[in-house]
Amino acid sequence: MRLIILIAFSLLISSCLKLDSNLYNNDNTIKEYQLDNYKGVQDFILDDSYNIPSNLITVFTLQSQAEGESTTTNIKALYIGDASKINSDTVILYCHGNKWHMDFYWQRAKLLAHTNGKNKYGVLMMDYRGYGLSDGKPTEKGMYADVDACLKWLKGKGLSNERLIIYGFSLGSAPATELTATPRSLTPTKLILEAPFGSAAIMVQDASQLNMPADYFTDLKIDNAEEIKKVNQAFLWLHGTNDNFLNYKTHGQVVYNNYTGIYKEKYLVDGADHGEVPAKMGFKNYLEVLGNFIRKN
Amino acid sequence: MNSLIKFLIIILFAYFFQNCAPSRFVKPLAKKQQAASFSFGGPIIKFAGAPIPIPFTTLAYGYGITDNITGFGSLHTTSLLFGNLQSDIGATIKLFEKENKFGISASPAIQVAYNVRNQTGFRIWPSADLNTYFHLKAKPSYLYAGVNSWFEFSKYKAHEQPQERHAIPNLHLGYMIVKQKWQHQFELSYLGIGIPNKPGVAEYVGISDKGALGFYYSLIRKF
Repeated sequence: MRLIILIAFSLLISSCLKLDSNLYNNDNTIKEYQLDNYKGVQDFILDDSYNIPSNLITVFTLQSQAEGESTTTNIKALYIGDASKINSDTVILYCHGNKWHMDFYWQRAKLLAHTNGKNKYGVLMMDYRGYGLSDGKPTEKGMYADVDACLKWLKGKGLSNERLIIYGFSLGSAPATELTATPRSLTPTKLILEAPFGSAAIMVQDASQLNMPADYFTDLKIDNAEEIKKVNQAFLWLHGTNDNFLNYKTHGQVVYNNYTGIYKEKYLVDGADHGEVPAKMGFKNYLEVLGNFIRKN
Repeated sequence: MNSLIKFLIIILFAYFFQNCAPSRFVKPLAKKQQAASFSFGGPIIKFAGAPIPIPFTTLAYGYGITDNITGFGSLHTTSLLFGNLQSDIGATIKLFEKENKFGISASPAIQVAYNVRNQTGFRIWPSADLNTYFHLKAKPSYLYAGVNSWFEFSKYKAHEQPQERHAIPNLHLGYMIVKQKWQHQFELSYLGIGIPNKPGVAEYVGISDKGALGFYYSLIRKF
């Protein structure tokens, strides 16, 4: 009898814990963005030759509103380049990974600002809601809306589709792929994915070794493996062969194989772990690969 | 709790989902005897430098159908807290016994899981345990060792990728302290024999980067 009562109690409290919010590794405890002065852990730190003049760095606030939301959420974004020239410049929209905030990814954004030459292209990066100084709590739908808020801003500054490149790293591969497959405010002309997720389903099945439904653990989809099928734009995939977080065979390779658009290119980086691709490739080589891909017609 | 740690636990929860409980009723109950158990334990990871087992919990009930066959069912309470109804239903069958010395038993079972929260994802996996037990000095307590596996019969997994692994074998070694009404079960497992534990997001305590050691404890009440 006691066992039955215990089971009934357990059933009553079932569903009271949800995993989704735990999947985000955001840090919203910072008081300001430190950029070059940030002393926390970073994947790599560039030398002074990669410094960006302060007049070409703009941190600003955007309003983001996801479908079904009645209010907007303030999110923080950072533009590297001359914002007054967006109507004629090419821009790389960088969707960062799951870790903390933009300070952690500042070195990566700076590096991208050297593709095909110093400040040749503008680079826009944002903190998704709940990350860094952005308000709100992270959600998958909110993340897509936040990236679209950046696209709206770029469009307002005169950016056109053919001058927009979208780059997604790790978690950022989800909004990058989603907004290339199903464009909202602008349609990117090229898609670059570094160490992308395949899907939440792959994550769960890699872990369990069984054909186990992802929704046992999460309602997140992050379904790049399916979304990529809708992408027709040119696609570059970079992944470390020693990625200890997102296995390149089960995640990235599935995304790459499922792509059937006009052009695809892959770059597997021998021995690189998650987050090590630019450093293991060598910054010069990394920028050359990106630059060649972006220049390619 | 740090988000990253919570994330790791989720992944661990998935990774050794099939190993969130020790062997059940290694030695069958007497005919019409009943027993209820509470178990906790799981794979061991290094957490802040120290090895700790993930504390999965389960409740189980067993009934002696005959002196040689015990039927059992369980509820995985940690899974339930996260909105998944998971249960294993099976029987422990005595295959051979030399009384008060040693014996061999098998426990075929089905593992049932269902997402209560979304009302989706009903799945069944067969599993089987094969155990041998030894009484030390003719006392009721016994040492046991065995092998266990879940079986995955799907040909494909997500995104039409081939399901390459169809059996996930584990080894275990345990000791059952048998009192008149209560039993204490301690079990050490080697989970996922031969399965690389890297790449992985957690630092498992395995053997040569393969599998993971697990530790479990059960408190069993007979009535």
